[in-house]
Amino acid sequence: MRVFNEIAVVTTICIKSIPQRFWASFSTVVAVGLVVTVLLAFLAMAAGFQQTLRGTGTKDMAILMRAGSQAELNSGVTRDQARLIEEAPGVMKDADGKPLVSPELYVIVDGVKKTAVPADGDLKKAPRSNLTLRGLGPAGIAVRPGLKIVEGRAFKPGTNELMVGRALQKDFAGLNVGDTVKLGTSSWLVVGVFELGGSVFESELWGDTPEVQDLFHRQNVFQSIRARLTGPDALKALSDYATNDPQLKLDVTTEADYYAQQASRTSDLIQKLGWPLAIAMAFGALAGALNTMYSSVAARAQEIATLRCIGFSGTSSFIGTLLESLVLALVGGIVGTLVTWVLFDGLTGSTLGASFSQIVFTFHLTPAVALQGIILALVVGLVGGVFPAWRAARIPIVEAYGTP
Amino acid sequence: MSDLYLLWRNLFRRKLRTFLMMLAIFVAFVIYGVLGSIHYAFEHGVDSSADNRLVVVNKITFIQPLPYSYVGKIAAIKGVKNVTFANWFGGYYQDARNQIGTFAVDPESYLRIYRDDLRIDPAQRDAFIHDRTSMVVGEAIANKYGWKVGDRIPLNSNIFTNKADGSHTWELTVAGIAYAAKESFNTSFIIFQYENFNESKTFGKDTVGWITLETDSAAVNETVAATIDELFANSTAETNTQSEKAFGKAFLAQLGNIALIITLVVGAAFATILMIVGNTMVMAVRERTKEIAVLKTLGFPSWRIWRQVLGESVLLSLLGGVPGLVVAGLLVTVLSKAASGAIPGLALTLPVAGLGLAFMLLLGVVTGFLPAWNALRLNIVTALGRL
Amino acid sequence: MTGQTLIHLQDVSKRFVKGKDTITIFDHLGLSIPAGDFVAVMGPSGSGKTTLLNLLGGIDQPTEGSITFDGGRVDTLTEGQLAGWRAHNVGFIFQFYNLMPTLSAARNVELPLLLTSFGRAERKRRVEAALSLVGLAERADHYPREMSGGQQQRVAIARALISDPKLLLCDEPTGDLDRTTADEILAMLRLLNQEMGKTIVMVTHDPEAAKYARRTLHLDKGRFTERELVA
Repeated sequence: MRVFNEIAVVTTICIKSIPQRFWASFSTVVAVGLVVTVLLAFLAMAAGFQQTLRGTGTKDMAILMRAGSQAELNSGVTRDQARLIEEAPGVMKDADGKPLVSPELYVIVDGVKKTAVPADGDLKKAPRSNLTLRGLGPAGIAVRPGLKIVEGRAFKPGTNELMVGRALQKDFAGLNVGDTVKLGTSSWLVVGVFELGGSVFESELWGDTPEVQDLFHRQNVFQSIRARLTGPDALKALSDYATNDPQLKLDVTTEADYYAQQASRTSDLIQKLGWPLAIAMAFGALAGALNTMYSSVAARAQEIATLRCIGFSGTSSFIGTLLESLVLALVGGIVGTLVTWVLFDGLTGSTLGASFSQIVFTFHLTPAVALQGIILALVVGLVGGVFPAWRAARIPIVEAYGTP
Repeated sequence: MSDLYLLWRNLFRRKLRTFLMMLAIFVAFVIYGVLGSIHYAFEHGVDSSADNRLVVVNKITFIQPLPYSYVGKIAAIKGVKNVTFANWFGGYYQDARNQIGTFAVDPESYLRIYRDDLRIDPAQRDAFIHDRTSMVVGEAIANKYGWKVGDRIPLNSNIFTNKADGSHTWELTVAGIAYAAKESFNTSFIIFQYENFNESKTFGKDTVGWITLETDSAAVNETVAATIDELFANSTAETNTQSEKAFGKAFLAQLGNIALIITLVVGAAFATILMIVGNTMVMAVRERTKEIAVLKTLGFPSWRIWRQVLGESVLLSLLGGVPGLVVAGLLVTVLSKAASGAIPGLALTLPVAGLGLAFMLLLGVVTGFLPAWNALRLNIVTALGRL
Repeated sequence: MTGQTLIHLQDVSKRFVKGKDTITIFDHLGLSIPAGDFVAVMGPSGSGKTTLLNLLGGIDQPTEGSITFDGGRVDTLTEGQLAGWRAHNVGFIFQFYNLMPTLSAARNVELPLLLTSFGRAERKRRVEAALSLVGLAERADHYPREMSGGQQQRVAIARALISDPKLLLCDEPTGDLDRTTADEILAMLRLLNQEMGKTIVMVTHDPEAAKYARRTLHLDKGRFTERELVA
């Protein structure tokens, strides 16, 4: 117990003396805070991107594409193949006995980000970004049970009408209900805005398949087939069927796996950028922390020696100094986390996905991400405190008599 | 002995402290050097494309094809000097994850348009033009896979199907290896004969991905672009013509705001050292208030002491920063090799290094300013406690 | 040995403003020190000893009155001019030596020469000569922390002499030293006065130290009570 009391006394002396070295302590806190902010901004970006793509997939939805095509954009599926899939095993049917299969067209059009709109509002001159336009089959909405139309209505088959994903509508100009969008030579009317669990689909434009096929001169050609599965074993059944039929030769994966694979590359890249940068910066902050703590020990040398003189142990000086460093670093870590939270959490970003089209995502500071930032801060505090603490523990007692 | 010696002795008065400061500065300049080089490579790579080169793409998006017939029609337009085209192949080698930027092109016109960017042996060039199943491989790809002239390589497409056997594979002979004539040119590409490809693909016959052309001079760019877009207006494939530079910039912009991210990170790194070093310099100079007062008593003029303190912080900044830039240069070289030409022109260039040097001087002046000012104003009588 | 007037203070007043109060240190003080003199200034704390030394050394300026050195006015010089004046005319010796801890003995002595245009060889010669004069030629490469108080004070004397000033100002030069060492230092100062003709003004608390001077001035509440030293 005694040693705890000693530590408490030394720690109190250390912490109370922080204001005397205000600028030194302040610079350490700011340095650690900046390091944590940089790390968390990258990690929050990766987490947000991953969440968007992971949230897209469901395990009970199969996605079928031409073998080896890797991404929807490269794939090609014929009408005949789509018909065969309607009769495939493992595919769920609706109340009327119609198979829940949606052959879909995946093409790229372009749009203007709200941030890129020029001052005069003339969209023709603005830099354009690639957007996904998805043509949906008759069952396209029925295969996606989580879909919510939050504004307007669904498009009518056989018309040039569009539905817009929520994320896209927020991030891009001229995509509100009632707006007219010019794609190629034809004009399309935005009639609805939808939400789908914060998924990638919310970065898409949806229209009726035949109309989209017309626009792109791709009659009878689709990019992928979505099919709802009857249960956990259904994927294998469908997969066997699709791979073995020489007319099909399609790759079958669950939507969840497809998007998870697409997510991992980009979010890996973001993390691989974020961590080395943060670690490099942490070395800089460490230099600052060590400096501050050494000067703290030097400033308190006489006090520590006096305590040692009246019987305090070296251990208490060691731990007290270490705690001071950890407190400074922790404050820095918390400040960095708060700054990230205020500046970045909820911020919308967008980047090119695997298919050359924009994916809109939201920076997300998850507790797990925040924890990594705090841990980094504490590591800086620990390493930055341990050497000065060692020096503090070894201050000779005679220093108590020394002249200042 | 000189002022520099005094300055040096003061700088290393506390070796550990000085070393830690140098470490912090070093780290910041490594970060600056690496990120600055990447940023420069991106910006410069796009900027270095010729001024009089235009790209014609489908108005819907550049992924939509254009009819092959457009090539001839564009060639006939006044102000157009050379025309070529390319078709995206979706190529990969062995594993679908090893994607390679592969384009089906017309060899003769393609190499003519990129004559200032690509360097290829004339004999290899002729071989490429005459062999319908041949390809030219960029240096980066040739190095990555160890391909040599004469090798027959089965190249896969994740888009097209080969009519001959229903596979996605085309077997092509390496006719030559292309080197970058400009450092900023990316050589991780493959080009191969369009004619044979056009005849053997199962769909998309007689279409091309985009058309690249050279105008007589950059001055006529706008008129030529307008003429082309008007010519194909209201047809089934309307066009969008813009300079290659603008096209490249727009594509890069879609990746996200790289410049902003780099600026923020470098800014954060610099803010960190500014805090740490600035604060430490103030402390270090405050510690020797008395010595400065003695120097003044001995008759050292104030400006000379001011110069000493400022010189000390600038020297500290240079001692940390210059090795930082050197290490950044090494890292960038390693990175450039690891990326195998994916970021062309990635090197620590003179402008980046020069700006780094300017930042060091600025950092030195900013961190030294307050303590130098304090030293300048220092009153001997009070500083020596002589009241 | 003493000759014409080196320093002349006329009607010198010195006041400090401290908060709301004005503290008067000197009120119309007059003093003449002939060249070649060795003056000890004694007096209780707060009598103005240090301020007098500050004024003589040109590190502080009088509120009123004039200070003449070697026929020229000092009180009218700007701060920058004063620095140059000090470098040429005054050598300082402090109670706590005030050597640069980062420099060796030789470098410390050389320091004032940075303000001159002497070449490398000339500087070296002068530094060696000054160090031999104070008997520390073999200690040239030692750092202050490696030397005793007496040795440090001798380095400080060498530094004060190096640019050959007419006036040496000593502020409690033996205040931090034991008797024997103090006597050595004082004997050295007397030698400098007698053999090299240096004019010395020394502030001290120690009556024994004052005996080495030619005369002692007693300062009390900013006024002199002059008394010739009885040798």
